[in-house]
Amino acid sequence: MASVLTDRTSRAVNTYTYTSRPRALPCQRRRYRDNFLQEEEPMRYGNIMYDRRVIRGNTYALQTGQLPGQPDPLELQRQQQAKRRALARKRAQEQLRPRTPEPLEGRKHVDVQTELYLEEIADRMVEVDVECQTDAFLDRPSTPLFIPAKTGKDVDTEILEGELFDFDLEVKPMLEVLVGKTIEQSLLEVMEEEELANLQAMQYAYEEIRNIELAEVQRLEEQERRHREEKERRKQQQWEMVNKHKETSQKIAARVFAQRYLADLLPSVFSSLRDSGYFYDPIERDIEMGFLPWLMDEVEKTMEYSMVGRTVLDMLIREVVEKRLSMYENKENKHQSLRPKDEHGGPGAMRDPPVGYGFQKQSLSHTQKPLLDRDDQRMSYDGGPSQERKYMEEGELLGQSEETAIRKSLGKEEL
Amino acid sequence: MAQAQISMYLPPNINPTKAAIAYGCRALPKLNEELQSEDVTTRQKALMALCDLMHDPEYVYQAIDIGCVESLKALLKDINDLVRIKATEVLHIMATHNVGRDSFLEHGIIPALSFLLNDANPICRENLHKTYKHLAQLPAGAQGIVNSGLIPSLVWNLQKEQMAVQELILDTLASCLQEDATEALGSRLVPFLKQQLLSGNDSIRAKAACTLMAISIPLQGKNQVWQYDVIPLLVHLLKDDVDEVQANAAGALMYATVTTEGKYAALEAEAIHPLLGLLRSPLNKARLNATKALTMLAEAPEGRKALQSHVHNFRALQGEAIEASTRRAAEIAIKVIEWKP
Repeated sequence: MASVLTDRTSRAVNTYTYTSRPRALPCQRRRYRDNFLQEEEPMRYGNIMYDRRVIRGNTYALQTGQLPGQPDPLELQRQQQAKRRALARKRAQEQLRPRTPEPLEGRKHVDVQTELYLEEIADRMVEVDVECQTDAFLDRPSTPLFIPAKTGKDVDTEILEGELFDFDLEVKPMLEVLVGKTIEQSLLEVMEEEELANLQAMQYAYEEIRNIELAEVQRLEEQERRHREEKERRKQQQWEMVNKHKETSQKIAARVFAQRYLADLLPSVFSSLRDSGYFYDPIERDIEMGFLPWLMDEVEKTMEYSMVGRTVLDMLIREVVEKRLSMYENKENKHQSLRPKDEHGGPGAMRDPPVGYGFQKQSLSHTQKPLLDRDDQRMSYDGGPSQERKYMEEGELLGQSEETAIRKSLGKEEL
Repeated sequence: MAQAQISMYLPPNINPTKAAIAYGCRALPKLNEELQSEDVTTRQKALMALCDLMHDPEYVYQAIDIGCVESLKALLKDINDLVRIKATEVLHIMATHNVGRDSFLEHGIIPALSFLLNDANPICRENLHKTYKHLAQLPAGAQGIVNSGLIPSLVWNLQKEQMAVQELILDTLASCLQEDATEALGSRLVPFLKQQLLSGNDSIRAKAACTLMAISIPLQGKNQVWQYDVIPLLVHLLKDDVDEVQANAAGALMYATVTTEGKYAALEAEAIHPLLGLLRSPLNKARLNATKALTMLAEAPEGRKALQSHVHNFRALQGEAIEASTRRAAEIAIKVIEWKP
């Protein structure tokens, strides 16, 4: 386990490490005679897998290969046979050799020293010289193999139990797991991708149709809107046209009517103007404006004079009458109880005619007013002088009515 | 000589980078405990083992049941790079399964992941974007991403990242924008996509066109597309070599030409001729989109006049098309072209 832990930094595949790596010993001299195959020995150190010295494969059916430079098996067999014969002969000779008889029952042969002086037999070997002579007619056996003495350094590699393994066998379950997991994962991913691709394709188709439909809807909306707007515009136009039509006809009618109405405007204007006296003869106007007022003023003055005169006269008369009345009343007061009725009748009688006069005058004045009004309206040239006369008459009447009115008021004041 | 013996025991650590997986139903709980351990190595080994196990849907379900998602969420904030990379990878694998996606929405993984958008490690970001891409394919997931206000940051990241990650982000954005595009329209996405349309990489062009298609679904998007003059570029892309790019460009045109300004812009850019060429494309999507785009253009009087001479193409398409949708689209196109006010 320690080796595994320290291997973290080493190459990925290697889960094995050494404290001293096994290597072929570098040796310059030729170790074996007739060694034609020496060049095969790789000089590099390295993988134990590729080392010929390491046994691979079945270990229970080992092939003992020959060391290079050995004699062939036939010679080997002959050698073995010779050896066997020698051995057999040796055994036969041994049997012929005289031996000590076997001990009797209950006894045992023991080596005993029979000399005088006992010797300690320690490591002094019993030496026996034996001569031997080979058979005269035996073949000379072949020279034995020359195995040179071992020289150089020995280097070991300790391989603990369970460290040597067969890579192919060992790797199989791991590979199964790794590859299995990878394939499982990739299958999953591929299926997922396929599913996604299918969904994408469906979505694509759906999007197409959706876009088309949406565009269609928008187009129709737009069309609708345009048509509606067009309709609105046309309606508007039509309405405006109708309006204009109506207006125009109204205008024409109004124009015609106005024309007709105003057709006799001009003559009527002229006539009314003429009637109101805007077209005047300058001389006539001058007479009217200048001469007549002066004349009237003069007339008025004259009348005033006469009126003033009459008024004075009236006042005189009045004073006289009053005086007489007061004198009379004073007298009457003395005889008041005798004649109450006559007094009432007197002033009453006095009052009635003026009252009657007043009514008359009032009616006259009433009739005067419309005359005056009409005259204001229609001042015609022909009616001018006659009106002058009327004015004078009326002025007289007016003066009279004024007189009586004054009298009436005086009378009222009295009472 | 030593004995050659086969040992019965497997060596203790076949793969020292992965934690040993316990047998049967104890596998995931034990891994979950290891995920919360203090030792970094244990966590890493547990994460690697979890990565492999998550490909199996049953394990995913069990993992969610015992609460692995919470531990993974905590690990996202780990200091060690490898832990974060592996954690995001596990989340990515879980997001490819529907249970996984649902559990993400429940446990609020989206905000937790959003902290890693600016992570220093590129692999971590790549896994993160892969997770978002898979999450966005679920409508509820896309809604979740939009609701957490991640779209502006995604657009921002889109401009900074490498091409491979850009593709992922474009995919995510395309799916999210089909849900709700208002935030993206405010973050100047359209001009950036216009640049991407000119990129050299085929898939970037295709995906940029796809995202443009999604962004021009709402009215404001269409207006922006017209404003930034993307339509002539799209017409140019109709003549591209790659089928996918052509199909997506036709789709984007289809949406952009719904408005009147878009229609006239497309007509000015001579879109009719390439679109007619696309009617014979091998890709069904291209044919469909081209048919629809031509239908839009036929609404305008000039377009109708130009297309009246090509009605036979549509009839041919209607006759020989396999899919019902193509036939219907061709029918509608013919109807629109031959409409008289």
